[in-house]
Amino acid sequence: MRNYCNNPASSAVERSCAPVPRVAVVGLASCFGCQLQITNREQYLLDVIGQIDLQYWQLASSDPMPDAFDIVIIEGAVTTQESLETVKALREKASTVIAIGACANTAGIPGIAAFEYEPRASQVYDNLPTACGHLIVPQSVPSVIDVDFQVPCCPIDFQSFVEVLSQALYGSNRTNPSRTLCGDCKRNETSCFYGQGEICMGMVTAAGCGARCTALGRPCNGCAGLSKDACLESAREAVVRYGCDVAEFDRRLQLFNQTDEALLMQGADGEGA
Amino acid sequence: MGKGHSIMTRTAISVDHIARIEGHGNVHVQIEEGRVKDVQMNIVEPARLFESMVKGRSYKEVSYIASRICGICSASHVVTDLKAIEAVFGVEVSKRTKMIRELLIYGSYLQNHAAHLFVFAAPDFIGQPSVFPLAESDPDLFRRALELKGFGNELCTAVGGRSIHPITAVVGGFTHEVTPAEYERLADRMEALVPFAKSVVDLFAGFPICDISSEGDMLALVEPGAYPVQSSSTMRFADTDEEFNADCFADHIEEYTVGHSAAYFAQRRSTGRPYMTSALARVNVSWDNLGKEAKVASAKAGLRPPEHNPLLNNVAQAVELVDSLERCAGICRELAKGAGSSKPVAFTPQAGRGVGVTEAPRGLVFHELELDECGDVVHASIVTPTSQNLANMECDIRLLAETLAATGIDEDTLRLEIEKLIRAYDPCLSCSVH
Repeated sequence: MRNYCNNPASSAVERSCAPVPRVAVVGLASCFGCQLQITNREQYLLDVIGQIDLQYWQLASSDPMPDAFDIVIIEGAVTTQESLETVKALREKASTVIAIGACANTAGIPGIAAFEYEPRASQVYDNLPTACGHLIVPQSVPSVIDVDFQVPCCPIDFQSFVEVLSQALYGSNRTNPSRTLCGDCKRNETSCFYGQGEICMGMVTAAGCGARCTALGRPCNGCAGLSKDACLESAREAVVRYGCDVAEFDRRLQLFNQTDEALLMQGADGEGA
Repeated sequence: MGKGHSIMTRTAISVDHIARIEGHGNVHVQIEEGRVKDVQMNIVEPARLFESMVKGRSYKEVSYIASRICGICSASHVVTDLKAIEAVFGVEVSKRTKMIRELLIYGSYLQNHAAHLFVFAAPDFIGQPSVFPLAESDPDLFRRALELKGFGNELCTAVGGRSIHPITAVVGGFTHEVTPAEYERLADRMEALVPFAKSVVDLFAGFPICDISSEGDMLALVEPGAYPVQSSSTMRFADTDEEFNADCFADHIEEYTVGHSAAYFAQRRSTGRPYMTSALARVNVSWDNLGKEAKVASAKAGLRPPEHNPLLNNVAQAVELVDSLERCAGICRELAKGAGSSKPVAFTPQAGRGVGVTEAPRGLVFHELELDECGDVVHASIVTPTSQNLANMECDIRLLAETLAATGIDEDTLRLEIEKLIRAYDPCLSCSVH
């Protein structure tokens, strides 16, 4: 993955000649929730929009897609041949690509379908409508093109989005945290779900979300994707130690990580348990 | 009038990638000799195959997954799933849990209706491509519209833990609740927002619309003495009093596929005709039980049942803004008293079939689930408001185009009027292709 984060000189503002970067927002297979998370912060929305030249945002405006822009924000997973070509074309046009949300970054919930994909369409449709496009196995955006910045989670947190957008606009040497969520619960003094015999994905999931779910009484579902620091083997050992079901842990892992190489590489262990 | 050419003998009107709706869709209308030959709502949203994705998944995960069908309607998908699962397990939730679920759904009404009316629909009537120019031309209206929408987010966040994809709602109850003082504060805010919501009804009632009458019937939940959004599982077709329970919904409504849409279409079985489900359907069916202020605002705006102009769905949504605020203020005051508990009740998973139904912001949503003895999903069927509305929308576009073609309208104006009609339905294409 290309990563401009460490080089302030490569921010979109400096890379392009235009004084205000031209931005396009594009939605692929998703619930549109990440775009809504942006519009849902009404009080800051105009401040953000004031710093960019918003060229294309189909959700909010009927202005057509322009030929050229500097930054493209992509939401959603790649699930059709057509969207695969779209993201490749977007990569060619834009100097900076930001992938927002779990669908774009890990294939997310649509990625669940990646496992034994073939029969799924016929389970839902007797006759597959031609309007569906050419359906392909769901893939994340970074698995198809180079992505410069990522905003994780399902849905994204607005604050994380603003941080990443300002990195793209003005440059920054910050990177997304790689630690696992578990430490955040300790810091928040949230009691552990494993103590109640409940499976939680916090042991292997990337931190950075603020541990909102666990603070509100729900175990982590892993929407931020696997942490680079995660050790699946020792996590499974811990699951056993707490008397929980490893097969269930593996099934829960698939929720947001079905197409993650770390899971795919382990073959039968991590799949279809 | 527009700058385009007037409609000659043969015209094909197409809007690719209809803007300011949720999801991806195109519309194609063919007109010959003033008659509409063909109308197609071409829904190209990629199929994510949710019904196959929840198969084999635990009941604990189903609402979490199904919520991702749609960002805006996420609260409705969650509550609908919980109702279906609780029907299978025989779980009876507390009155307090039902009240909080009501708040969650109404929170999404405030979010959805305010976003739809101002961000999606209003630009058509003020002649702008988006709502953003309103920030300069009418900053006060812009600020207050965003404040109302923002309050919907605030309510969903207070109840569900975040503005979309609620965290706290689980089978049997809620994992977290805000304090009584917070409920009181929310109620104060709601009461303070009612006057603006009433002015939104007046604003949308004042926008000129084409006078058409949909031939399709209207379907909405019913409950004696209530304006039900989740408390009932019985629904009625407004014009003919065909009433039925969610358990046998497939005996009354039928889904079918068409080649030009990735979304299913639907029709009423008894007539083989399309129908509409929406805020307008709810106002038609439960008019008597609207809140006092909402009913007055609606009557003043000229919206009274029976009303079959789908373009008035905008006004009906504005009426529901008033109704939601009035109703939720009362619920919050009641919850602040602290009676009862919303802690998840104990239950044992068991096998069976259950159908959940709620009134999502855009209309009725059904989740039918078959679970095995561990509570894992064996079969799922999801019917969303927009897939129920698409066939009726095509009929109404035909009606609108023929009505306007007869007046010698030019092509650009007709195209805009068709878009206005589609947007009035507030279609959610990401829901429709799930």
